[in-house]
Amino acid sequence: MEELRVLVPYILRGLSVTLEVTGVALSIGLFFGAILAILRVYGGDLLSRILTVYTSVLRALPHILLLLVIYFLIARIVNLSPFWAGSLSLGIISSAYQAEIIRGAILAVPRGQMMAARSIGMPTIKAIWHVILPQAFRHAIPPWSNEAAIVIKDSSLVYVLGVPEILRQAQYYSAREYQPFLAYVTVAVIYFLLTFTTNRGLDALEKRIRIPGF
Amino acid sequence: MPQTKKEIVKVEDLHKRYGKEEVLKGISMEVDEGEVVILVGPSGTGKSTLLRCINQLTRPDSGKVWVNGIELTDPKTDIDKARQHIGMVFQDFNLFNHLTALDNVMLGLTQVLKMEKEAARNKAMEELDRVGLCNKFMNYPGQLSGGQKQRVAIARSLAMEPIVMLFDEPTSALDPELIGEVLVVMKDLAMAGMTMICVTHEIGFARDVSTRIVFMEHGDIVEQGSPSKMLNNPDLPRTKQFLGKISDLH
Repeated sequence: MEELRVLVPYILRGLSVTLEVTGVALSIGLFFGAILAILRVYGGDLLSRILTVYTSVLRALPHILLLLVIYFLIARIVNLSPFWAGSLSLGIISSAYQAEIIRGAILAVPRGQMMAARSIGMPTIKAIWHVILPQAFRHAIPPWSNEAAIVIKDSSLVYVLGVPEILRQAQYYSAREYQPFLAYVTVAVIYFLLTFTTNRGLDALEKRIRIPGF
Repeated sequence: MPQTKKEIVKVEDLHKRYGKEEVLKGISMEVDEGEVVILVGPSGTGKSTLLRCINQLTRPDSGKVWVNGIELTDPKTDIDKARQHIGMVFQDFNLFNHLTALDNVMLGLTQVLKMEKEAARNKAMEELDRVGLCNKFMNYPGQLSGGQKQRVAIARSLAMEPIVMLFDEPTSALDPELIGEVLVVMKDLAMAGMTMICVTHEIGFARDVSTRIVFMEHGDIVEQGSPSKMLNNPDLPRTKQFLGKISDLH
């Protein structure tokens, strides 16, 4: 017990980094994923095909490999801290998955919704914003919840760049105190609590904004 | 002196092809102000396509369309602006599922016509009242019956103050006992002088309120004329056969 009193605060020092990496990556992924999805559905044939290559390649490779490739690519162009470079890389990876999630959700909105919006004189962009996306995001919550859990877990990958998130903290601790098992189990418990509460929270959100009678 | 009627819709030599199938084979027609034109014909003969070509939800391959003197097939025409005043009612309603009845009617007013929220709300309530649904304004589409949904859809179109209303089989997806309430609204609209083009097989409605019945088959207009002529004494045997058949059903 005595050990835990030292161990837990030490690892928790990495918690804010874990949360920040996750938050930044999910936000970047959502922003670009939504744009990619909209362009794939409404952007015409050629653009759609080009973007399919993007999402297919990103989804075909191991995340740790992509993280390293994107990190060193970014490092050649601009001077970003490992934290930002790592979060941005994870965000780019997530955008490919979120694009697929949102594309599916957009396609699940009946075609007549767009027709009705256009028939009252709405331009396509407005119709997407006011009619399609509010419905698509509701469809997207369950698969998005799954993606959020994956990004929470992937945030551990930035430890290869030396970013002091919880897994990195556990590694430091076990190297110093020779308590690897206890350290890693503590990290496991934290990841479980993070993914569990996130999924529960999104379940609650889904129920809250469900369309009455639909 | 006979009053010259204003031409609201004009269609000239409209062609549309889906793959190998030619759905519209050079349709031409004019609809004057206050006319109620019924399009009838077997399914798959291009009635709905013709309707959608009028507001350009479907782009024709060739031919021209004018509404209120503006050529919609001209690429320079602002089609969104033109569509603001062409009402369309769909077979499967297409109410915005995530919005209440009130918000369905309001959306076009605030986002397209840029009305103030309060004015838009009042206008939307007026339109819901006109279709007899002002007490359902807080209901979502999923909480309305088919007939009520279609009446909200009509209100949504009317709120934009259309110069012509296009109805694409407005009662085909409804239970028989819900058809009446939608037809009553459409009848009132016709009586009030609205220019209407309806694809429908409701022959009773056609007989009572239409000014012209247009019989289409295989992408062509076969015959057209006043309802009394078309229903009682058409020129062509095929017209008589088809209209006789759907009259028997009602």
